[in-house]
Amino acid sequence: MDFFTDTSNIFLCAVSAAALDLCVLVLILIAYNEKKHAQQYWNRISCCMELSAPDVSYPLNCDEILIGRHASADIRLPDLSVSRYHAILTVSDGIWTITDIGSKSGVFVNGTLVTERILRENDVINLGNKRLIFRRRRNNNVH
Amino acid sequence: MYINTFLYIISCIFVLLSHSAMLLNIYFNGNAESTAKVIILSVAVLGLDFVYFIIMLMFKQRSYAIDFLLILILNMSVIFQSCFGGVHLSVKHYITCIASLAACKAGYIICKNHKWLQVQKKYIYLAIGILIVVILTLTGSRSMWINIGSISIQPSEFIKPLFVLACATSVAEQQKKRKVLCFYVVYENFALYGLTAVICLLQWWCRDLGSLPTFVGIFVCGFFLRICYPKAKFSKKTLITAGVILLIVALIALRFAPDYVQERLHTDIWSDKTGNGYQQSHALIAIADGGWFGKGAGYGDLHNVFAYENDIVFATISEEWGLLFALMVMLAILIMLAVPLINPPRSYYHSTMSAGVCAYFIMQMSLNIFGSCNMIPFTGVTIPLISAGGSSMVTSGFMVGMLIAAQSPEFKRPAIRQQRNARRQTA
Amino acid sequence: MKSIKRSQYIISLFIIFFIAGMTALVIKIRTEADFYMMNSDGQALGMVYDRNGGVLFDGKGTGIYEDNFFVDVGNLIGDNKGQMTNTLVAQNLDKLNNYSFSSGTVDDGKAAIYTTLDHNANRAVYNAYGWQKGCAVAYNYKTGEILVCTSLPSIDVTKGYDGIEYFESGTLISKNMYRTVPGSTQKVSTVVSALEIMGADRLFSKVYNCSAHYTNLNGDVIDCHNQGGHGDQNIQQALENSCNPFFAQLIENNEDLPLDDIKKQYRKMGYAVNDDEYGYIDIDGIQCETASTTLMDSHEFRTQWGCIGQGDTMVSPIQLMMWQSAIANGTGKMTMPHIIDHVTDVNGDITDIAETSFSKQIFSADTASTVRQMLLTNGANHYVYSISGYTVGVKSGTAQVDEGAKENSLLVGFVDDPNKPVAFCILIEDKNAGFLTTEQVVKIMLDSINLQ
Repeated sequence: MDFFTDTSNIFLCAVSAAALDLCVLVLILIAYNEKKHAQQYWNRISCCMELSAPDVSYPLNCDEILIGRHASADIRLPDLSVSRYHAILTVSDGIWTITDIGSKSGVFVNGTLVTERILRENDVINLGNKRLIFRRRRNNNVH
Repeated sequence: MYINTFLYIISCIFVLLSHSAMLLNIYFNGNAESTAKVIILSVAVLGLDFVYFIIMLMFKQRSYAIDFLLILILNMSVIFQSCFGGVHLSVKHYITCIASLAACKAGYIICKNHKWLQVQKKYIYLAIGILIVVILTLTGSRSMWINIGSISIQPSEFIKPLFVLACATSVAEQQKKRKVLCFYVVYENFALYGLTAVICLLQWWCRDLGSLPTFVGIFVCGFFLRICYPKAKFSKKTLITAGVILLIVALIALRFAPDYVQERLHTDIWSDKTGNGYQQSHALIAIADGGWFGKGAGYGDLHNVFAYENDIVFATISEEWGLLFALMVMLAILIMLAVPLINPPRSYYHSTMSAGVCAYFIMQMSLNIFGSCNMIPFTGVTIPLISAGGSSMVTSGFMVGMLIAAQSPEFKRPAIRQQRNARRQTA
Repeated sequence: MKSIKRSQYIISLFIIFFIAGMTALVIKIRTEADFYMMNSDGQALGMVYDRNGGVLFDGKGTGIYEDNFFVDVGNLIGDNKGQMTNTLVAQNLDKLNNYSFSSGTVDDGKAAIYTTLDHNANRAVYNAYGWQKGCAVAYNYKTGEILVCTSLPSIDVTKGYDGIEYFESGTLISKNMYRTVPGSTQKVSTVVSALEIMGADRLFSKVYNCSAHYTNLNGDVIDCHNQGGHGDQNIQQALENSCNPFFAQLIENNEDLPLDDIKKQYRKMGYAVNDDEYGYIDIDGIQCETASTTLMDSHEFRTQWGCIGQGDTMVSPIQLMMWQSAIANGTGKMTMPHIIDHVTDVNGDITDIAETSFSKQIFSADTASTVRQMLLTNGANHYVYSISGYTVGVKSGTAQVDEGAKENSLLVGFVDDPNKPVAFCILIEDKNAGFLTTEQVVKIMLDSINLQ
């Protein structure tokens, strides 16, 4: 009898520990699944926009994107004509705005020098010698 | 409404399953005077589960994983606290858990729109200021408790989430530089440094040295996220070197510290088992006594030791449920903190906020667990969500709400600025 | 994006830091759990057995034993009450506790310590002392198993500690572990040192005269216990006669026997000379004090007496016995004593099986065999009848304590018999108060030790 209660104690302990583990595991999987939904939501917020240079395109994955020459900038443009911290892109209510943050050579949208400007699809942005196009993402595998 | 009904039901089932497994364990091996007490506990726990599952649906969130983890952990803590020294529903802890859930939802609503929150930042500073004044005037001489009737409130706990919010920052905010002499200065950063200094002085004055590392931890986190970005004056190499040098200096300082400091750092709890080392030595004995699988719910002896339900709660849980289970509960909390790693926030403000919350949780847990096990000096801090204590539960619930907000953010311009802009345009 | 990644790094760092801490904590608890449980109030101690399976300590407290059943080993085995700390049980509570981290405390577990002691021999020796006090220790110099270790007065731990303030001094310690004046048994160490430094041929060629009193160069008088003096004698005769003037003159001969070399040899043998720090010999957790002496100047009275066995020289009986093992083995290496043969854990699995270990070389094998022969000759010449039936090599000693008010009688030696390789040290306090002699104790002890 003693033996029975002893083993049943360990057995029940193991069962509750296993249930807890399983629950945590399921919730981790759920968190991964929610990542997909979060991406969908983000696509709705950001209108699936991206900045594209002739050879690369930069996805816009968070709501404040720093553009500059410095290594820590989100979009790094390694060109001396670009300031270390040149401009910042922000989004709210699905509207992207570009703001000059004290650059030396200025921000040009469609050829106009701006300090803050709401971006529309296919706007051409010039930062120093670099030219970026603000456009809808091309690949269709993103929902 | 939840996006995926199937996953919602699966999560509900697994949370209920793990609570039921624990309750079953209590029913079969628990130290219950009568079955009625177990049933009352089960009804309370499972009832709270159901109610929260329903309430969860009223909030339009895009992520519910943290909500499920929160209710899982909170109800486990209800079960733990209800079993110490015999099974009976711990009504006080149950109520604080409900308060914690409410605080969580409040935290979510307050923090979900970071742009609005940033506009309100001065009010955060104001609130901290008011709390500091409250501590200075209302608490007894140099203590940290306000006693209103039978309820004791620890106002310094409420500073912690506000401090996390003050530490959080956005890229745009860091770009608002002003030139002072020949330096570019971000005023907001200096406000934060000043605030940190004031809070540290206050903690020192209150003799609440236990909370000090938590504040420092949150601040270090905020500080790093400020100096690394977007200034980035310090490369990784510099940072690592600085860290190593700091560590070496600390070690040397420890080695040559005056005797009374060393004495405080290395208390030999075993030679002072009835004095200063009483709680720690009993906590360690209890963990050893519990072993991997514990003595069974309600059969522990540690509930005779002061602060069994908060300061040394890890040992109390280990004794009754086993070290394995206690470690798993800590793992569940860690997983909750790691959700921002799985599903990253979309704004810098929210991500710094998540890091601050993580710093708060980890610092509190480390101080509590390692302190009660004599690896570091023993300070009476609580394990968030597990330890009994109203202020701590509400605070940590609020913090979890902040994590949820970072998972389900709203990107809307604050109404005030929109109106102002509209006015400007019309003018 | 890079900005978000940074905060994720910080979160990961915090989590890794915490996991590392928890890992350290689990390892710490896992390794120290036995120690924590020693401090717990709710212990389930197991048994201590002797070499024949007899009970020496009953941790469960359920057995029924005769009156004074444990008294002979009371202050060696001890208990967990905390009154005696330098005892086998107090120092090995973790091994005796019926606890393991995975199974917790098991009230009817099988944790036990199996000692090398022979309870019958201990009891016989204890009874032989009668009302006289002292201590006796013996061990197998081939294996290091302690067979007898008794000390009087003693207590029966089952009777508790009522009236502890009226206990005679020394009741709660095993005197074998503590320093005492060695008397002439010290001369063995001096002979060993002289042999190491001078070599056997030169030492045996030395002849000194004893005329009952010897006035050294400083003008102090060394007395001999023989009022008529011993006349001219060599080292063998002087050792057998235990002649103080001979040894005083030997020490004073600074050219043949420089004092610095003696100090060096003494230190090698484990003495704390002058201001050296005392060490401890660890016998399964029980601490045994090591010898100490003062050697300043070879013409000085105190130094000469130190080498003869009075003065500041203090040696514990266990250490005297261990030196005998180095002599008896003929190797110059002491056999390290142990008292625990093996331990069983809570499940009955054997852990910690004792192994014979030896000290490092404390003197050369040549010296060992020379001294061995000298002691055997002494035994053959003087102890054939008193310790009949055994070939023993022995050295007796008389130590003056309490400023000469009392004399303790000592006998160290070994049995030269491969079937009974026993080295021993006997101490009878205040020998003039009774008629018990050390030879009688040795005889009873050797008769009762059963090595089979």
